[in-house]
Amino acid sequence: MFGDLERTPRTLLVCDRSSFLDEKNRLSSQVEQLHFNYKVSMLLPECSSAPSRLEAVLNSFNSFYLIRKLPIHELLDKHFLETSVHQGLVSGLSYRTRIDEDNCVALMPNGHLSLSLDKDSFELLGVEGKPSRYNLGTNSRYVVSVDLTDSSMAPGGRGYQRLVTGLRSRIQLKTDFLLSHHPVGGGASLQALLSRCDWSEHRPEVRSYALTDLCCPLLTSDLQSRDPHLLLEWLGAVDADVSCENSSNSFLSTLVCPEPKTTMSRALSVSVCGLLSPQDVHRLIQQIRCYLDQPRLESWASLTVHGFVDSPVSWGGDEHGVLRGGENFYSLLMFHDHTYHLHLGTGAHDTCPP
Amino acid sequence: MSVFMDLNLSYTAERSRLKSLIETAAHLGFSTVAINYVFEPAAKKKQEIPTPMPIKELIEELPVVQGRSRPIRVLNRLTVVMSDSSHFRPNAAEYRCFDLLSVQPTTEKLFHAACMIYDVDIICISVTEKLPFFFKRAPVNGAVDRGVVFEVSYSAAIRDSTRRRYTIANAISLMDNCKGKNVILSSAAEKPLELRGPYDITNLGLLFGLSDRDAKEAVSSTCRSVVLHAETRKSASGIVYTMNTCSESSGQQEAPPADCEAPAAKRAKPHLTD
Repeated sequence: MFGDLERTPRTLLVCDRSSFLDEKNRLSSQVEQLHFNYKVSMLLPECSSAPSRLEAVLNSFNSFYLIRKLPIHELLDKHFLETSVHQGLVSGLSYRTRIDEDNCVALMPNGHLSLSLDKDSFELLGVEGKPSRYNLGTNSRYVVSVDLTDSSMAPGGRGYQRLVTGLRSRIQLKTDFLLSHHPVGGGASLQALLSRCDWSEHRPEVRSYALTDLCCPLLTSDLQSRDPHLLLEWLGAVDADVSCENSSNSFLSTLVCPEPKTTMSRALSVSVCGLLSPQDVHRLIQQIRCYLDQPRLESWASLTVHGFVDSPVSWGGDEHGVLRGGENFYSLLMFHDHTYHLHLGTGAHDTCPP
Repeated sequence: MSVFMDLNLSYTAERSRLKSLIETAAHLGFSTVAINYVFEPAAKKKQEIPTPMPIKELIEELPVVQGRSRPIRVLNRLTVVMSDSSHFRPNAAEYRCFDLLSVQPTTEKLFHAACMIYDVDIICISVTEKLPFFFKRAPVNGAVDRGVVFEVSYSAAIRDSTRRRYTIANAISLMDNCKGKNVILSSAAEKPLELRGPYDITNLGLLFGLSDRDAKEAVSSTCRSVVLHAETRKSASGIVYTMNTCSESSGQQEAPPADCEAPAAKRAKPHLTD
C-alpha cells in the first residue's frame, strides 16, 4: 500500500527542439492553440533594465474587461453573436470559479462555448453534454460544448432556444467573466453587452526585477544531455524568487542550480499577468528574437507562458482539469542562432500538448 | 467533484476564536464548514444537550471563500460520545436544531448499533487512543449501504506525536475494512493554526491508504453526500420537505406548504446509489 506513496500524479512534458529559420517549425501553431494565457515571465541574462522596444511591446498588450456577475445567457445575445462571436473577435473565461468545485465557462475565439458543470447544474440545465474525461469513477462533472457558429445554434433555432432558456431560467448561471476583444479598437461592438453589466477595464500588470549574482546553468543550443525537469525547476525557482543556494542551515528550499553552472552578475526577470492573447505572446517572442540578434554577452533568453489553472479548456479546446495541480504551461528557451528549445508541460487531468 | 468542506470545527465559547476559525477556513478554500458541539453524557449527572448558537449571532458577515465569489456556508453539528446505549435517544427533539448528527461509539456493540440502526450521518473514529475494538466488515458494509460515513479527524495528529501514531494506525485499520468508501477527513480544530488546506488533506488521505480519487472525494463529494443525507432526515422519505411560512406578522392561519424547495431527492442521492 505504501508503494503508492512514491507515485506522484501523472505529469506530461513534451520537449521540442527546432529553429525559427526552419519553415516547418510548429511554434506559431503551438502558441496559437493556447487561447487563454494568464502569465508570461521572461528571464533575460546579463541585462539590468528592459530594452525600450521590449517595454513598448509589453505596454502595447491588449487590455481586457472584467465583468462582475455576468449572466451567461448574455453571451448568447443575438446582437453580440452577430457582431462579435461570428467574426471570431472575442474570447473570454469565467473568473474566480474553480474547475474542480464550480461551474466554469470559456468562450473561444473560434466561437465555441465550453461549459464545465457540476452534476446538479448539468442535470438542471437540460442540454446535451458529455461526462468529463477526468471523472474518476462516478460521474460528477459534465462538459457542454456548443459551437455558436454552427447552423443549429442560429438565433431562434430550437437548440439555441433550449440553451438560452436553460441558462436564463433553469440554472441562472452568473459568474464573473474576463472578456477580451481583438483587435483593440473594435470594442464598439462590445458596448451593447457591457452597458448592461457591471464592468471594468484592466491592463495587464507588468513587473520587473533586477537580479544580481545569479547562479545559472551553462546553456548552449547544442546541449543534449540536459535534463529538462531540472532546468524547468531552476527557471521556476528564479521566477518565484526561491533561493537555489541549498545552504546547510536553511530548510526552506533544497532546490539547486543544475550543473555545469556559472554565475551571472546581473539578470532581468519580467512578468506580465492578465488575460493575454496568443497574438500578443507571438509579438513578444519576435521582439525577443530581435533582442538576441544583437551581439550580446549571454546568448540565450527564456520565456514561460502559463495558462489559467481553472480554465475548462487547454490547448486546442481540449478539456483541462485539476487533480492536485492544474498547470498547463510552455517554456521557450531561445538562442542567438535562432534555434529554440520548447517544453510544454501539463498536469494529471490534461491531454497531451501539441 | 463538489466544493471542499470541513465538517468538524470545534465549538468554543470564545466568539472571537470561532470567528477567526471560520475566516481561516474561508481563506484556505473551504466552502462549507460545520461547527461541532460535542456532548458527552456522564453516567450520574443529567446533562442537557447544548443548543446551537444561530449563525447570524456568531458572525455578522460570512467571509468570501478564497478563489470563488460566494461566502462560506456554516452548519451546526452535534456529536454524541456514547459509552452506553441510552446516551443517544433517537428522534429526540433537541436534535432538530442541528444540521448534522454524529456519534462516537466507544464499544463494539455501540459501533454495531450505530452502523446498522441509529439514524445518524457520521460515525467518528477515535484518534486520540488505541482503538477500543476492532472493525468488522459486516457493520462497516451495513453503514456504507445506509449512506452513513466514517470520519477521521487530523488535528490531534498536529498537536501531539503519540496521537499522530494513533491517528494513522486507526485510520489505516478503518480503510482496510471499508476499502476507502464513505470516508470523510476533517480537522477537529480548536485553533485556526490547526486547519489545513483541502489539497493538503488530500495528500494526508494518501498516507491513510486512500487512493488519489478517494482522498479527493473524502474532502468534497462524500461530504456533500453527508450534507444531503442530513437534509433528508428532516423530510419525509427525502421527497417532501415542509417549512413554516413567516405568518407571525399576519394573524391568519395558513396551511404550511409542502414541497417548498426543490425536493431533496431531485438532487443526487447519497453517493452510493449514483
